[in-house]
Amino acid sequence: MSDIPASPPGGPHGPVPPVPHGGPQGPAGPVGVIHDIGYRHYDGPRLGRGSATVALAVHTLRGVFGLGRPARSKIIPFALFGIMMLPAVVSIAVMAMVQQRAMEYTPYATIMQPVLAIFLASQSPYAVAPDLRFRVLPLYLSRPVGLWDYVGAKLAAMTVAMFTLLAVPLTVLYIGELLVDMPGSPQTSEYLAAMAGAVGLAVLLASLGVAIASFTPRRGLGVASVIALYLLASGVSTVVAAVMESVNDYTAAGWAWLINPFFLVDAAIPVGLFGTEPAAPGAYPTGIGVAAAIVLMLALIALSVIALIARYRKAASR
Amino acid sequence: MTILATEELSRSFPRVTALDRLTVTVGPGVTGLVGANGAGKSTLIKILLGLLPPSGGGARVLGMDVTAQGAEIRRVVGYMPEHDCLPPDLSATEFTVHMARMSGLPRTAARERAADVLRHVGLYEERYRPMGGYSTGMKQRVKLAQALVHDPRVVFLDEPTNGLDPQGRDEMLALIRRIGTEFGISVLVTSHLLGELERICDHVIVIDSGRLLRSSAIGEFTQATQTVTVEVEDGRDLLAARLTELGETVTAEGRALLLRVRAPETYDVLRDAVCDLDLCLIRVEQGRQRIEDVFKEPADV
Repeated sequence: MSDIPASPPGGPHGPVPPVPHGGPQGPAGPVGVIHDIGYRHYDGPRLGRGSATVALAVHTLRGVFGLGRPARSKIIPFALFGIMMLPAVVSIAVMAMVQQRAMEYTPYATIMQPVLAIFLASQSPYAVAPDLRFRVLPLYLSRPVGLWDYVGAKLAAMTVAMFTLLAVPLTVLYIGELLVDMPGSPQTSEYLAAMAGAVGLAVLLASLGVAIASFTPRRGLGVASVIALYLLASGVSTVVAAVMESVNDYTAAGWAWLINPFFLVDAAIPVGLFGTEPAAPGAYPTGIGVAAAIVLMLALIALSVIALIARYRKAASR
Repeated sequence: MTILATEELSRSFPRVTALDRLTVTVGPGVTGLVGANGAGKSTLIKILLGLLPPSGGGARVLGMDVTAQGAEIRRVVGYMPEHDCLPPDLSATEFTVHMARMSGLPRTAARERAADVLRHVGLYEERYRPMGGYSTGMKQRVKLAQALVHDPRVVFLDEPTNGLDPQGRDEMLALIRRIGTEFGISVLVTSHLLGELERICDHVIVIDSGRLLRSSAIGEFTQATQTVTVEVEDGRDLLAARLTELGETVTAEGRALLLRVRAPETYDVLRDAVCDLDLCLIRVEQGRQRIEDVFKEPADV
C-alpha cells in the first residue's frame, strides 16, 4: 500500500487531471439519478374491521371470477356465465321473432342446475382452499379481522357470485321481454318470485359449497366433494321420487324432490311464498310441506355456517 | 419506553409446555429472540399477537393487554410468519395492496404504501409477476413487505433468514437493521443462530424450552464469542504446540483447534504459524457460540 504517491500538499483530492482544450466542460454528473427519499411513515386514516371485511369479500369475489388473476383462471367462470346467459338470449330472440316464450322465469334455476352446480363446485374451493393451502390465513388473523369476519366475507363473496350468475340472465330476460313488447302484461310477479328464489338459492348453495370446500386445502378434492354431493342429492331425489310415483304415492314423491337443494329452494320460496308453478316434474308437498321446506333450507344454511366456524377455529389454533 | 413485556407468561399444550413462566421486557430498537427449534419462539409471537390465549401470566404490547386488546394490538403490529404464506397466482403488488387494505388502509393509501414498501425491501420490476415464480429470497422480501405495509409500530419477524443463501441472509439482516434504526419501527426478530443476530440486534433474549436463559444488551454477548475454529489436514498437535509457544491459548476439539482471539494480531500469528510449519489449512471459522454455552457461562462481565 506504500506504492501510491503521496498527494501534493494543499490538494486532498490528489492532482487534478489536465482537461484537454475543447473537451467537455464542467462536471458531467450521472444522468437520471433515483433519489432515495427514505422511509415515510403513514399517518392517514385507519379504517375499522368492517371495511377490511368488505375488502376481503371483494378480493374473494374477484378471485372467484378470476379477475386480476392469470387468464386461465377466467376461462371456467366466464364460460359457465356464458352458458347461463344462453337460454335468456335465445328466449329473447324467440320472443322477438314468433312472439312466444321459450323460457319461463322460475324454472330457470332448476333447468340450469348442472351449470350452477359446476360453477359452485369449481369456484367455491377457490374462495377458501388457497388460504389454507398456502397458509395465508395466519396473515389475515394477525390483522384486525376476526374469524367471524373472515367466514362472513368468504360466504358473502360466494353468495354474490352465485346470485350474479342467476340474477343477470333473469334480469336480461325480463328487460328483453319488456323491449320485445309481448302480447299481454309482462310477467313481473314471476320475475320477482324467481329473483327471490335466486337469493335463497345463492345463500344456500354458497354456504354448502364453501363449508364443504373448507374441509380440504386441496382444490381438486374440494371440487370433487361438492360435485359428488350435488350428484348424490339430485340422483337420490330423482330415483326416490320415481319409485314413489310408480307406486302412486305422490305425497312421498313430493317430499323426495326436496332432497335436491335446487327443488328445495324452489318449493320454499317461489312456490311456497309466491305461489308459482313448481319447477320439479311433480308437485311439492303442500301446507306443512312449505314450512318444512323453508325450515329445512334455513337449517342447512345454519349447519353450514356452524361447520365453517368450527373448521376455522381449528385451523386458526394451529 | 417499553415495547412489550411479559410477566410470568406460561402456555402449555396437551403434550408440551411451550412457555414456562417467562418474564422479559423489550425496549425500542432491534431485539433478537434466540432459541432452538421448539424453544417457544413462535408460541410467544402468537401470544403477543393475541391469537393464542396464555395459560398463565400475562403480556402487554405497547401497553395493551394481549388477552383483552388483541384487535387493537394487531392494528399497529406487523407479523412476518416463519412459513410460506404467499398465494402463487397473485403478484407481489396486488398481494401487498390487499394486505394493506386488510389492515384498514383506504384504497389509494394502500397502493402508495405497497409501492413504497416493496421498493424499500428491494423488489422492483418483478413485483408485477405472479409470486409462484419467485425465488426464496424474493418471497422473504414480500413477506417482510406485507408486515410493514401498514406502517406498524412494532414488527415480529419469525425466522426471516430461513432458507436464504449467505448473500440473501446478509441483505435481509441489513434490511432488518434499517427497519429498526432508519424506519423507526421496533423489531422483534427470532432466529436459532445467535451469531447472525449479534450483528444487527441491540438486545438479545435467549430462551430454551420456554424458559428465559438470558436477556442482555448485545455487548455482553460478543465478548464471549472471540474464538476461531482452525482445522488443518495433518499436524494439528504441531500447530497447537507452536501456537502455545507463541503465547496463544488453544484447545483441541475433535479434528480442529479452538483458538482464543486476544487481539487482531492473533490472526497474523496463526497465519505465520501455519506457513512456517507448512501445513494444509482446511478452514478458519469464526466461533459460533451455541445457545447452550450461554446457559453454561452466564454473563461474567
